[in-house]
Amino acid sequence: MTAAAAYPAGTIRRRSRLRALAAFLRRYARRRDGMLGAVILVFFGAIALAPDLLVGPLETVVTATGARLAPPTAAFPLGTDHVGRDVLNLTVHGARVSMIIGLLATLITVFIGAVVGVVSGFVGGRVDGVLMRITDFFLVLPTFVLALILTPIIQDLVGSSSREILGIRMTLVVIIIVIGITSWSSTARIIRGQTLSLRERAFVDRARVIGAGPGHIMVTHILPNVLNLIVANAVLVFAGAVLTETTLSFVGLGDPFQPSWGQLLDAARKNGAPGLLAWWDFVPPGLCIVLVVFAFTLVGGALDDLLNPRRRARS
Amino acid sequence: MRGSYVLRRLGVAGATIVAIVLFNFVLFRLMPGSPERILLRGIPNVSAERVEAIRDRWGLNDPVLPIVIDDAGVRFAADNQFFKYVTATAQGDFGLSFVARGQEVRDVLGQHLWPTLLLFGLGEVVAIILGLALGAYSGWRRGGPIDHIGNGVSLFLYATPYFLLGMMLLLVGAAIGLPTFGMLTAGASYPNIFARLGDLSAHLFLPLATVSLGLVGQYAIVMRSSIVETLSEDYVTTARAMGLRDGRILRAHALPNALLPTVSLIAINLGYVIAGAVTVEVVYNWPGLGTLTVEALGARDYPVLQGVFLLLSITVVLANLGADLVYGLLDPRVRT
Repeated sequence: MTAAAAYPAGTIRRRSRLRALAAFLRRYARRRDGMLGAVILVFFGAIALAPDLLVGPLETVVTATGARLAPPTAAFPLGTDHVGRDVLNLTVHGARVSMIIGLLATLITVFIGAVVGVVSGFVGGRVDGVLMRITDFFLVLPTFVLALILTPIIQDLVGSSSREILGIRMTLVVIIIVIGITSWSSTARIIRGQTLSLRERAFVDRARVIGAGPGHIMVTHILPNVLNLIVANAVLVFAGAVLTETTLSFVGLGDPFQPSWGQLLDAARKNGAPGLLAWWDFVPPGLCIVLVVFAFTLVGGALDDLLNPRRRARS
Repeated sequence: MRGSYVLRRLGVAGATIVAIVLFNFVLFRLMPGSPERILLRGIPNVSAERVEAIRDRWGLNDPVLPIVIDDAGVRFAADNQFFKYVTATAQGDFGLSFVARGQEVRDVLGQHLWPTLLLFGLGEVVAIILGLALGAYSGWRRGGPIDHIGNGVSLFLYATPYFLLGMMLLLVGAAIGLPTFGMLTAGASYPNIFARLGDLSAHLFLPLATVSLGLVGQYAIVMRSSIVETLSEDYVTTARAMGLRDGRILRAHALPNALLPTVSLIAINLGYVIAGAVTVEVVYNWPGLGTLTVEALGARDYPVLQGVFLLLSITVVLANLGADLVYGLLDPRVRT
């Protein structure tokens, strides 16, 4: 490491990486669908960063000021819910909850998937066999059904305390972990495939010849070369994580004290908003979910076209 | 189809089912609270004898695993919880339900299975027909107006959770006076079977529309890209060079080959369809497995949840097995 830092090649490499990144961004900017998705995501990302600045603190049953289930007015542009909370306030705060859960669940998913994929592909042999059988099991299993039964069990094990980790309530921490441990299998498969072909390349042989151990090769030679795939995959995983969280919250596993968009939809359904024609109670959070997932799919598709070596060769 | 291909697929499916059953066993040991309390929660005023009977039936006084390691060393225990669990599971004995006030879980699952099969069976049929037709047409007329609209709508539908679609349709349905609750009008009596069927169809309309719309997008997307890919194959060029008509090229050459990836998608999708089932049924209070699951989740009815988990995951494994075998029959290239 110290030798690399002293050597000027390090700065050269860094500069060429920056240039490659700039070239990639230029190519990405030409994709209209990708740019549309990116704009939508930046919009929701900005909202998620500072909901308090935009609409004030999260309204609760106690601090609700509006009439019950009232249609949109000047004071409440998106109407009120069944206890008189401002739907705009709830939706903006919901962005933060949904995006944070999606982000953390994606990080866990991609981390497990990348580790399993790289180790399985690089080490090979019996390790590969065992890891791929486990991966197959998770690929075949309907992971949502698994998440559906794991979540309440772990929530009960943890207990219904009001403890928080990093400002996230335990109920939601459990959801994040469950999504993470149930949805890594396709990532692992993709990364393993790429690792298998990288392993045979000359630069890996060279590193091995000059005495690099397997751990070192995996971290400094394989990992940077599968990073492209990891990023492209992570965007699609994010979309799936938001959908899974929404669905788990909708069936009542969310946390009413930190409402995500899915939790808002659950509350709206339980109080019969659609049947009462109170569209303002569920269309705003619902539309946000659709837009975010749609945007992630667009960005993921564009990144996949640009970064995935197999696709790049075809187009 | 070669025997080894079939055998290997069967082996993988069998191993997965064994793993699911083992997994279920481990999950049950993880649950908080004593097992007999969970198993008996549906029944009020439980006597000590009843508790003892339950503990005996589920072997809760026996060691957990067949191999016991204690002060006396390692020995084999023929009476153990694991063997009893496997025997009971094989017989479809999942214990007693809490939400159904002490009924056998097996019977509760049976009652809720038919509405789900009706709704999702019909939904799949409608979605497959519409999705494949839409996908084939827009792939064939690539770049045309139907292709553009269809693609946008498909992507949007793909991003919409089933239950959200359901809530939107329910809103529309409620506005125009369609029934939105349950499978039949509560407390209604029918002069004949046709009146009953009519009421059922009226109640079925909105949930069925939701399920079909939710599925159509993905089938159309896959069918479209599959057709586009097939059209660039050499045999299609050959067919064109031979002077065959467009319609004949599509029907005789492109369609059969483009259908292949769609077959596996439909089977693989079954898992997601189930996820959708859970939520669409809840929106319309359709009395199927989805509504049952959500009730069980709310009441932490673990025996029911376990039954649902086993039933659904094994169904999905079998569907995947079926897809693999059909795929092997249709495409000689994968029979290795």
